[in-house]
Amino acid sequence: MASKLARAGVRQVKPILSVDHGEARQRVLNLYKAWYRQLPYIVMDYDLPKSKEECRAKLREEFMKHHHVQDIRVIDMLVIKGQMELKETVEIWKQKHGLMAYWKDTVEPKPQGFLNKFLDGHE
Amino acid sequence: MLTRLARALTSPSVREGVRGVHRTAPAASDALFVHRDTAQNNPDTPFEFTAENKKRAEAIMSIYPDGHKKAAVIPLLDLAQRQVGNWLPITAMHTVAKMLDMPRMRVYEVATFYTMYMRNPVGKYHVQVCTTTPCWLRGSDQVMAVIKDKLGLIPGHTTPDGLFTLSEVECLGACVNAPMMQINDDYYEDLGDSDVSEILDSLAAGRTPKAGPRSGRFAAEPAGGLTTLTGPPPGPGFRVRDDL
Amino acid sequence: MGHPGEGLLLGMGATRAQSSGPEKIEVFIDDQPVMVPPGTTVLQAAAEAGVEIPRFCYHERLSVAGNCRMCLVEVEKSVKPVAACAMPVMKGWRIKTDSDMTRKAREGVMEFLLINHPLDCPICDQGGECDLQDQSMAFGSDRSRFLDNKRAVEDKNIGPLVKTIMTRCIHCTRCVRFASEVAGVEDLGTTGRGSDMQIGTYVEKMLMSELSGNVIDLCPVGALTSKPYAFTARPWEIRRTDSVDVMDAVGSNIVVNHRTGEVLRILPRTNEEINEEWLSDKSRFACDGLKRQRLVYPMVKDSSGELRPCQWEDALLVAGRALAAAQGSVAAVAGGLADAESLVALKDLVNKLGGEATCTEEIFPEDGSGTDLRSSYLLNTTIAGVEEADLVLLVGTNPRFEAPLFNARLRKAWVHNELDVAVLGPNVNLTYEAEHIGEDPAIIEKLLSGTHPFSQRLKAARRPMVVVGSALLSRPDGGLLYARLQQLAHQLRAGCEGGAEWRVLNVLHRVASQVAALDLGYTPGVSKVRNAPPQVLYLLGADEGAITREDLPADCLVIYQGHHGDRGAEMADVVLPGAAYTEKMATYVNTEGRAQQAQAALVPPGMAREDWKIIRALSEVVGAQLPYDNLAEVRDRLTEVSPNLTRYGDVEEANYFAQASALAQLVKGKQEAAPIDVPQKVLEDFYMTNSVSRASPTMAKCIAAIKKEAANRHRDK
Repeated sequence: MASKLARAGVRQVKPILSVDHGEARQRVLNLYKAWYRQLPYIVMDYDLPKSKEECRAKLREEFMKHHHVQDIRVIDMLVIKGQMELKETVEIWKQKHGLMAYWKDTVEPKPQGFLNKFLDGHE
Repeated sequence: MLTRLARALTSPSVREGVRGVHRTAPAASDALFVHRDTAQNNPDTPFEFTAENKKRAEAIMSIYPDGHKKAAVIPLLDLAQRQVGNWLPITAMHTVAKMLDMPRMRVYEVATFYTMYMRNPVGKYHVQVCTTTPCWLRGSDQVMAVIKDKLGLIPGHTTPDGLFTLSEVECLGACVNAPMMQINDDYYEDLGDSDVSEILDSLAAGRTPKAGPRSGRFAAEPAGGLTTLTGPPPGPGFRVRDDL
Repeated sequence: MGHPGEGLLLGMGATRAQSSGPEKIEVFIDDQPVMVPPGTTVLQAAAEAGVEIPRFCYHERLSVAGNCRMCLVEVEKSVKPVAACAMPVMKGWRIKTDSDMTRKAREGVMEFLLINHPLDCPICDQGGECDLQDQSMAFGSDRSRFLDNKRAVEDKNIGPLVKTIMTRCIHCTRCVRFASEVAGVEDLGTTGRGSDMQIGTYVEKMLMSELSGNVIDLCPVGALTSKPYAFTARPWEIRRTDSVDVMDAVGSNIVVNHRTGEVLRILPRTNEEINEEWLSDKSRFACDGLKRQRLVYPMVKDSSGELRPCQWEDALLVAGRALAAAQGSVAAVAGGLADAESLVALKDLVNKLGGEATCTEEIFPEDGSGTDLRSSYLLNTTIAGVEEADLVLLVGTNPRFEAPLFNARLRKAWVHNELDVAVLGPNVNLTYEAEHIGEDPAIIEKLLSGTHPFSQRLKAARRPMVVVGSALLSRPDGGLLYARLQQLAHQLRAGCEGGAEWRVLNVLHRVASQVAALDLGYTPGVSKVRNAPPQVLYLLGADEGAITREDLPADCLVIYQGHHGDRGAEMADVVLPGAAYTEKMATYVNTEGRAQQAQAALVPPGMAREDWKIIRALSEVVGAQLPYDNLAEVRDRLTEVSPNLTRYGDVEEANYFAQASALAQLVKGKQEAAPIDVPQKVLEDFYMTNSVSRASPTMAKCIAAIKKEAANRHRDK
């Protein structure tokens, strides 16, 4: 009985792409490199008002957002999403503002509390 | 197919000279069913029942049971019309409404519904010529023509001296004495050409011509003398068995 | 035609008469058996079976005319089709509403109706909600055989509210019957006959009725349409929000028709208990006042004494600082259009700040039981209850203009149930015959002691009603007179048919907010504020000028919260723009004590906000935060204070008449000699009674038209 439970606990889940952390890591690095190399062209094609360096910083930031993720399947999923994003960007399926949305630092956070909402026009 | 035929029949070229089956808006309406203020007929037109007529009005109203006084509206309007002289000013309707304690609108409804209430001034003699089929077949067109020649009147108009008003009316129920015309309350029947002008002449001269058939008939009996009931009526026992 | 009482067939009004039910008879509608009481018409029996028979002239609330012939149906073994609206059913009749004969009859009638009906649907305002259009689609033929000229009728001018295009009229006479039976204005009629017949007033005059707008709804074609709404919108473009009217204290149910953020028109919503399916002209047409004179941004008085627009932060800060500095010397006055949510929020705020004076502009005497017992300020009999009464005594009120739909009920009962009405106060035209007892307030005392000739009638009545108007209550001696009336009503209860079930005493309020305010514990009348002027006065839509700047010390800060720039905003130092009744989810309690919800059809214009939210935000700025953040929580608070306020749609009955009467006996005072008066005596006084209707150009046009009509020589004086 107990052995059954233990087995269930360590049961291998079906991998999405990678079988172990090493492979997953490799995929992440590949994606990162692909983006990194594409950045100059993206800036040019979309006529982004950003420099290559700023874009690279943003790229790193976006990747570092998920640096705590350990689950291989989640990593794989994020990689797939990243690839899709890259594809869309390269093919110019996106629009300029779609990319600029990565820098939406000026957007104010939604107001909290009744009075703030009221003054903001949300209540 | 039928539509096309109908359209062809109603095209202006065909229509000319053909009296249409329907005679709506342009022909049918010779009266206006809203009130327009005129110099003679407006809310300030003086009207008051005379003392004599007031008594008559009381008598008329007393016929009707309590709570049904309103039923007297028709005779009272008629009384008012006779008092004014052939027509019914709006103030007369108001007076009647007040007497019967009913809303004015309800009196207007009655007065506009019945064609014998004249809501606009008419001449001293209101000549109403019947032009419905029997009279028409017997020569009402001729009667109209004589009146037009003599007085220069077309239906709906009044002579400048205010004596005659001509109306073209539908059947007045004297078909057997066609053609006929009604002048005020009197029927003049079996009219020939000379009869019309004679009647009009004597009216203009202030005389009242004798009402009724002009052909010498007493009433509506056959024109060529009686064809039945010619002998005296048989006495009692006529065709009764002898043994009874 | 159309005299009241005549041709009244079944199912109209007469609640009392209907109660005894003889045996039912069985008829078959399309082979489906239905049991109906004898005397039921074919049309009603079909409705019972769920079959709707097309009709134009028939209307449930009017007498039967039977002149449109659209409701012809086949009855088995009958040679001719019968008019369903006028024919009572006989036992065992088999009615066929979808047989060949019926369909042919309908098609024929439809063809005749359309002979003289113009084909101007594209420019007709009725298009899309036209009975003739719908029914010709459903039952008519697809072509006409009529080749002659169509009839034309000249349009009538019957006032600034109803537009007439009389060529479109199909002579159903619904408008004539409505005017004469419900509105009690016998100005419309049919003139002429045959193809020349027309509907109109014969002489040119205005349809002078406070209910005239209803003929627009009644007209099954586009002959009578709304003048203010002419060529504005099509029904399929309109969004509809069910709501409640606040122009009077009746609380008529309405449907707000709106599009792209503006109210286009207001239509009645059927509520048998309140407005049936009618609506007064003010409720219907004053909605264009919602677009004018609006307060759209907060304003604060600057150093030069001028109100300047500003941001919410600034306005709330100025108001909040003053409220905090007042140290409890705070008072509030609520106007006639305030909703229960903002009333409770304002009261909570003022109380939290240490203030006690929360008042309403409308006056109600505080003598005797005052407003402590709910039964003493409600229309206890309810509006529908009028139909069961047999004698109504109106004291110091003119219901025709203060509550037109209550008056319509009185008239209905007067016509159908032989209700007797007596008036104590000015002898005004109520559209029905009422016995005028007098204007002297001393009569009340006489009635109580039984020495007045009318006392006998009151005593003999089996279900009497005493309706007290706010004009009487606001007299200086209103407390005394009202106390006597309370005693009188209690006295009369003893001899009533229904015993304790029948409530005699009724108060007819004038404004929509009053009952909710009194339920929430507001003090009626502003004397409290006048006697002890506060440092900060908070006006919640108080626009009737009950309190003026002269009543207040110079250093008093006046905060005005409301939706219209009217008298209240004029005297304010801080203006907080609120929402009108079409722009907020709000609770209103009508004069019966029936809580109803108004729904937000639009968003408030500009920077205006829902009222309770403004007060809630202000409370946070002052530092006396109110414990509710959303509507549900406010309504919980309402329930806590007075549970009836959130029992929507129900009348919460009130009692303790004996106690109120006992307390009333203790009331002493000096009786004034001034005769009992009412503020609204003629139709002209009806149209502008609150900030919305005062801002409405249509209402202004009505008043101008009536002034002009005074010179009409055709008017029956």
